[in-house]
This record gives sequence, structure tokens and C-alpha cells, in this order.
Amino acid sequence: MSSQFKQLEKLGNGTYATVYKGLNKTTGVYVALKEVKLDSEEGTPSTAIREISLMKELKHDNIVRLYDVIHTENKLTLVFEYMDNDLKKYMDSHTVGNTPAGLEMHLVKYFQWQLLEGLAFCHENKILHRDLKPQNLLINKRGQLKLGDFGLARAFGIPVNTFSSEVVTLWYRAPDVLMGSRTYTTSIDIWSCGCILAEMITGKPLFPGTNDEEQLKLIFDTMGTPSEASWPAVTQLPKYAASAQSFQQHPHAGKDMKQLLQAHCKETVDDVVINLLHGLLQLNPDMRLSAKQALHHTWFAEYYQRS
Amino acid sequence: MNTKADPTEVAEIKKDTSDVSTVILPTQFLKCSRSDLIVLISRMLVFLIQINDTHENHEEQANGASETILTRFHSSTPPNISIYNYLLRLTKYSALEASVLLTSVYYIDLLSSIYPAFTLNSLTAHRFLLTATSVASKGLCDSFCTNAHYAKVGGVQCSELNILEEEFLRKVKYRVIPRDDNITLCKLEHQQKEFTVPDTNVIGTVLPPTVSLENSGYNVLDMYYKKMIQLVGSYSSSPDKTRKVNYKLEQPTILSTETDPPHSLYDHPTTLHDRSASKRPYDISNEKYADNSAFGQTVSGNQKKKHVTQDIREQNHSQER
Repeated sequence: MSSQFKQLEKLGNGTYATVYKGLNKTTGVYVALKEVKLDSEEGTPSTAIREISLMKELKHDNIVRLYDVIHTENKLTLVFEYMDNDLKKYMDSHTVGNTPAGLEMHLVKYFQWQLLEGLAFCHENKILHRDLKPQNLLINKRGQLKLGDFGLARAFGIPVNTFSSEVVTLWYRAPDVLMGSRTYTTSIDIWSCGCILAEMITGKPLFPGTNDEEQLKLIFDTMGTPSEASWPAVTQLPKYAASAQSFQQHPHAGKDMKQLLQAHCKETVDDVVINLLHGLLQLNPDMRLSAKQALHHTWFAEYYQRS
Repeated sequence: MNTKADPTEVAEIKKDTSDVSTVILPTQFLKCSRSDLIVLISRMLVFLIQINDTHENHEEQANGASETILTRFHSSTPPNISIYNYLLRLTKYSALEASVLLTSVYYIDLLSSIYPAFTLNSLTAHRFLLTATSVASKGLCDSFCTNAHYAKVGGVQCSELNILEEEFLRKVKYRVIPRDDNITLCKLEHQQKEFTVPDTNVIGTVLPPTVSLENSGYNVLDMYYKKMIQLVGSYSSSPDKTRKVNYKLEQPTILSTETDPPHSLYDHPTTLHDRSASKRPYDISNEKYADNSAFGQTVSGNQKKKHVTQDIREQNHSQER
């Protein structure tokens, strides 16, 4: 560890790293120190190479800043902007007894706005996050929300053959990716944004599947079943046939999203936010809103009219 | 390719082209077969190696042998496998993608531009290639192997590849994504001894307006692909005679330098080490950035060093004449 930073308490264990709170001794500013073990077989983990190479480019108020990288004997320390909490833990702290409770609607709106701002910046810079979920959205006491953990992210402007469909944590994974699409683009992140919006409103994950099949079933139960008409080329997806068996006999239009969310929300869920949610959670990836378009949705009028 | 050459040369080309077949390559490199891509890249590297070896020999004779700076990428003797066969081996056993192969050519310019001690020559080429292809795979692709695997295929100890990888990543400051302006930004970071260049909101005052973090141009690999075809596509002009074949790009109009070329293909902001007086719009070394010392070598001392785009540039000049 560089002597520039004092290592404080452990903040968490990531998939490939341990994160500590740190103090910059010269400036007195807190940082997050992400320690990456350098494995003798693996060398520098791909996740670290991606995270560093991509986050260096991304300087935005709604993206966690990477300040520096420190090499030591057998580890790499990524020095990040310090954030007080993540959205997952923050929502968990709102649980009343055993009943999850959503966030206040004005806060939901402020967080969602910031999420989309950060994401729009990634997409403008031709970067896909590919792992948006409440755990990876960091927040601070000032109510700021920032995108973190770019270990699965990739630049999408470089033509590459292999696009993995093993991306995004299951609950936030888009139906096209679940059906094996490898040609996904920015819409993959937008689906996750929709799931996160619903989760902030109710305090509960929208589609908490335990495996790929169940995940698709949960999605279709709520959002309706896809057809060639609503989603051209859906039948061409690698895993369409396998997943379609369950719903081909009983095509349906899905549930009423407003009722569904209202049942778990103390405030009134208005039609405007439901309209936005439907824009984000379109089964057909081509029909989903872009981050930029979502930011111009009426629900955010108070933000874009102000600026 | 160069049809406007000296007439005697043309006659010679004609003489031996009788049994050289011509392969038309697709405009999109993703559709180019990897076996053709390997031939092209091998030719390009052998071309650079010959020039740099010759240049370094001259320099040694002039300044004494001690002048050569050894880098991590140096072997004690040239490895006993041709560049072509080495590339073939890496591509086959590590399943390298087209974009990874092209990115490793781009990395030659990236590394040389910020690390003047490094040149691609017969002692450095193999280790460089192994490092470049493994870093590119890990940085750009969703499927990649462990360093243990890459090292085994490449014929070095894994611990050594780990060191090479770290050296490469540190030198290029993890700027492994082939994008417009990447080399410019990397140089700036070296110059300012900063981890990252200034904030987006002040960048306009530091960098010319065209160099912005919002610029996400990805035509870099495309440029390298097309330029390699132009430069070493012809069998007769290539020093690497492994494959007797000529390469031409589909839609030959794109290759024509008679018409005004698209700006971006020729004025790549950072990799031009040309000697011409033509103004390079975003050149780090111009008076605006005052401190030339950090780049003194690249700008003056290294004038004879060959970088990929430099040859491209020179070729354009010779064609114009």
C-alpha cells in the first residue's frame, strides 16, 4: 500500500477485489481503495484492465471517479472516489420489520434521473455497463447517485465477434440476453434501469428469478408474451424455442403494472411513471427508450425544465 | 497498390506477378479471414523490424554498441520462429480475434509514442506480440484465456508474461482501448505526470476542441487494416515472402489517394512522426504545449524510427510526388 493513503475499515468484498475505506493523508479526503490480487496464473485480471481503461475515460458527476492506480508487489490498488453507501443497502435499511418498503417517490425520481444521466454518458462514450443493479449504484449523504463497478463493462464500438450472453446479474438481465442474444447494445442497460426503477418504488426486486427459465417466465408473466408481431426476429434467438414452450399455448398481454406497484407503495403511483417504466421495460430491445430519450420523459419535467 | 511507381519497377512487378494470385479483402476487417489478416500483419511487422534493425545497426556503428537501451521486451537473441509462424501459433492456440490482431499493431504505435526506448525489432517483436495480443484479448473481448495459457502458447514463463503485461499496462497507463485521441491523451498523461487528463469541463482549454472525451471514434482499427493493405498488400513490395499472394481492398476507390482522402484516415492526431512541415492539428509538440522536452526523443531523436502510420504517411507523400 502506498504511504499516501491510510487504510481504514473494510467496506466489502467484490467479486475480484476487497474494498477498504482509505484516507488520503495529504489532502484529508476519504477514498475507496479497491485491492485486486494479482494471480500468478491469471496475471492482471481482465476485470481490472477493463475497469481502469474504461473508467479513465468516464468523468461525470454520476459515475464514480477513478483517481489512481497503485502497483505494489502482488496487488493492484484502484483508488476511487469515496461513497457512503450503495442503493441496495440503502433500500434494505428502509425495510419495516420484514416488509420491504420503497423509497419516497421524489427520491426515486432523483435517483432514477441521476442513473440515466450517468448511463447516457457511458453510452455516448460507447461504453456498455452490463451490470447495472442496486449494489453497483453508489450513493452519498448528499443524495448523489453514481454508477460503479465497471468490471463487466465493455466498449461497444470495436467490432468483436464474441459478445457474451453471460452478462448482467440475473434479476436485471434483459429478455433478449436471456434468450441468448449476442448482438445486444445499449438497450441491455436500459432494461436494468427499468428493473431498478420498479424496485426503488416497491422496495422489492421486480423479477427475482432463480434461474434463466424462471427469470424469463417472471418477465413474461408481468410484461406479456412476445410474438413476431411485437418483436420481429424474436423467434430467431438461440434460446427462443426452449423458452417459448411454456408460453406459446397461452399468449397473454401481461399484468397491470400500476396495480402491481401500487400494492407495495404508500404513495400514489401515477400514470406518468408507469409510462416511463413501460418505455424502459419493452421486451423488444429496439423498442426500449434510449437513456437520452428517457431523460426527456415527462416524468422528469421538473429537472430538464429547470436546467 | 502503388501503381504510380517508377516505370522500371512496374515492369518488374508485372514480370513476377504472373504466378501471384490476388485476393480481394472485404472492407470490414471483421469479415476478413484471419489467415489473410495474419499474412498482412506479419508483412507489416517484418517491414518495421527490417527498418528498425537497420537503423539501430547504423546507430550502433555511429555511437558504439552501448547506446541500445534494453527493455523488458528484449530477448538476448532473436527467437527461432518467424513472425508469421509465431502469429499463426498465437492466433490458433489462443483463438485471437481479428480486432485483437489489429489492436496489437495499433499498440506498436501506442507504446513507441510514449516509450521511446521501445522499438519493434527482431529482439523485441515476439515478446511484444505475445504481450499485446494477451492484453488486447483481456481488455476487449468477452472470451479470453489465462496468462498461464498465453505464456505456454507463446513460449515464455508465465511469471515473465505477468511482468511484461504489467510493464505494458503501466507504460500505456492502461489506455488499451483503440480509440481516436487515445495516444494523444496517453502522451498528455505522461507529460503532466497525471493518472488522468484534466476534467472534461476544462479539457477544451488544454486540448484543441476536436480532442474531447466525448469523442468516441472507433475508426482506428479500420484505419490500420486499410493502411496495411495499402502498404504491404502487394507481394513484391513486402519483405515477408511467406505467402505468395497480393491483397487488394474491395472497392478500390477507397485506396485511391488521388482524390482527397477523408481527413481522419490521414491526419491521425498522434501517430504521425512525419518530417514534413505540414501542420499537425493536434500535435502535442507544438508551441502551445511549451514543454517539448518530454517528447524530444519522439519528435527529433527518433525521426528515423518507424511507426506504422509514419510509413503510411510517407507513402502518401511519395505518391503525391
